[in-house]
Amino acid sequence: MTEHKIETPKERQNRHKAMEAAAVLEKIKHDFKEPPKAMDYFYDLHERVHCKHEALHSDKAKVGTMCIQVPSEIIYALDAVPLRLCNGFYADDEIGSDFLPSKSCPLVKATIGQFASNNFSDKPDIVISPTTCDQKAKSGAIIENMGFEVYDMEFPRTKESHESREYWRRSVRKFTKDLSENLNTKLSKKKLKDAIKKVGYAQHLYHKLNILRKDNNSPILGKDMFLVTNAFFFDKIDNWIEAVEALANECEQRVKDEISVASKRSPRIVYTGSPPIFPNLKIPLLIELSDAIIVADETCSSNRMFNDMVSVDEWFVNDMVDSIADRYLKGCTCPIFTKNEDRKRRILDLVRDYNADGVIYQAFAGCQVYEMEQRSVLEAMERAGVPILYLETDYSPSHLGQLTTRIEAFVESLKNRKRRQ
Amino acid sequence: MKRIRDFINNADIRRFRFWLQLLFFVLFIYGGYFAVNLGNSIPVFSCGYDKAVGGMCYFLPLQHQLARPLDVLLSAASISVLIGFVTFLLWFIVFNKAWCGYACPLGTMQDWITGLRKKMGIRYSTYTQPQFDTLKKIKYIMLAIVILAPMGVGMGLLGGEWRTAFCEICPSRMITPLFVGDVSQWSLDFSTKTAMILTTLGLIFTGLFLIGSFFKKRFFCFFCPMSAMHYIFSDGALLKLKKDGDKCTKCGDCYNVCDMQIKDIADDVKSTNILRDDCIFCMKCVAACPEDDALHVDILNMKLFTSTKGGFAKRMEMDRLEKKDD
Repeated sequence: MTEHKIETPKERQNRHKAMEAAAVLEKIKHDFKEPPKAMDYFYDLHERVHCKHEALHSDKAKVGTMCIQVPSEIIYALDAVPLRLCNGFYADDEIGSDFLPSKSCPLVKATIGQFASNNFSDKPDIVISPTTCDQKAKSGAIIENMGFEVYDMEFPRTKESHESREYWRRSVRKFTKDLSENLNTKLSKKKLKDAIKKVGYAQHLYHKLNILRKDNNSPILGKDMFLVTNAFFFDKIDNWIEAVEALANECEQRVKDEISVASKRSPRIVYTGSPPIFPNLKIPLLIELSDAIIVADETCSSNRMFNDMVSVDEWFVNDMVDSIADRYLKGCTCPIFTKNEDRKRRILDLVRDYNADGVIYQAFAGCQVYEMEQRSVLEAMERAGVPILYLETDYSPSHLGQLTTRIEAFVESLKNRKRRQ
Repeated sequence: MKRIRDFINNADIRRFRFWLQLLFFVLFIYGGYFAVNLGNSIPVFSCGYDKAVGGMCYFLPLQHQLARPLDVLLSAASISVLIGFVTFLLWFIVFNKAWCGYACPLGTMQDWITGLRKKMGIRYSTYTQPQFDTLKKIKYIMLAIVILAPMGVGMGLLGGEWRTAFCEICPSRMITPLFVGDVSQWSLDFSTKTAMILTTLGLIFTGLFLIGSFFKKRFFCFFCPMSAMHYIFSDGALLKLKKDGDKCTKCGDCYNVCDMQIKDIADDVKSTNILRDDCIFCMKCVAACPEDDALHVDILNMKLFTSTKGGFAKRMEMDRLEKKDD
């Protein structure tokens, strides 16, 4: 007789998450013109981690990070792995709703939801919470109450002044010292230098891929790029590098052979706003299913994470730490900063550089800073004559019809505009 | 053409700079031995107290000329003053402040002292922004001394020992001759009170120069009157340091490597001409910029050296991964 087992809540949650992930992966794999072969690694990786809940880092100390501002170079140099905990699962979002006000950001709710259910394939040993936006800053304390070790990393909300630079540098120095004590590992000059170069190389590869996206024969779709950059949240960096090397080579060949994943008439889109994090690739998928192509993005799950690189003048530990600190503050275009001319300039530069036809701006309902910045960005785009569509969404699978209509109409108008030119 | 451009943009500018600096050092300090004489209107501190100088710092003759009695200075006899000045401008106009970063012997010496510090594994120090904003004004006071002190002598307001007042306090007067084995400048002049004060100040500044440049990159250049003088004419120069603010992400990589701590290089996205009065035109910022064409060096509006993603990755050794055998 077969033994009957009742599904535990954890198993149930995992089943739900696996279903969610599998559905999106199916779409990504099969609903589009042939993706590069090298993408198989990433499809497989996301399946292993998000459907089968495989642990990747059982042999190493794991440092959870709540935002991109936590310097991964330092974590790698201390022989640990950084795991970005920003979460894209609707199943977790629903659990997190119990802990936060109803109008909170779905990303924060989903992140808290995962902690609440204490359901990790790679459970972080310590969680680093930079004081970026209000919701994330306050989540740190909520997570701590759930029994996790949380380290608050102070982050300034302005970045222009000399004081903010000094403040953040001090904050990173302190973080380096504290984490080194926490992990009981000493930071050496050589290890830090190697870590900077390794992360720098990963960034270099990302840039290499991006440069190929400037070509009129787009070798890769935006939804695939989001999977690649999302994988950097949790993958083993060496494997990631190897896979992206292969992907970049394949894309280079595609550009040479003039193989394009989109048609010549497909409008080219710059994507900005709240970060699409797997499996919440709702908007990117809708855009690309409407025959547009995302050629560039300005989000913290992708471009912002890779764009600015560390430069060091003298390779001493102190200088390296300070240089690393600068990279995470000065170039950052996160809307949490008081002023944000940089973000507008950045979007416009991407539009010009990638020869884009329009911008799509997604804000999560409840992500106040992105919602607040919407008007000024729209105004700046209008002044520059760049068409822009603003969308407010959350993680729920509803509203798809309405979103599809709006996106299709926008894409259609861009096509008309293109034809007239 | 594209090949040449890629070669330049990917170049290891440090090595290029090191050899060029060495060449100019030998030329200016030992040029006399090879019968090299580039005149005496050179826009860098190649000190005239060096007996083998291959081209003299413009300030020494300038001070002597300005110390003429006022009626002589304003007469046709001063056509030579004008010629000297025009020659200075002609030298300067071509290379702009690159004279500081690539040719100035006193600058080169500071870079060597920096090299020594690096070898010893000691970290450099920096000024805070407010300190920097105050200190950078000193060079204009120095420039005023260069011009006004000799004129005061000419007008009979100051004693003759003020004639070359700046040279008396300039560290180059004591240090440069050492390279040709001349220690005669290492003495105090007790002839008059003023001379004593000036030579004492000179000794103090020399000490400060040696200690300061060990801890602070290009310590003396913040105070250099030649740098101030350059800046007055730099808008007309052929070689230019340009910035395309639209492409700048303000990441601060350029500011990070800047020996002169010029904040505008990273933060100013409006100016196209980004050369500031402290700049020594070493082009380290261009080499450290990871954005395509955000910073570039132009000659006659042609891009000579421009920042590229590829060049950055190559110089930072991020374009490949060192394979380890473990």
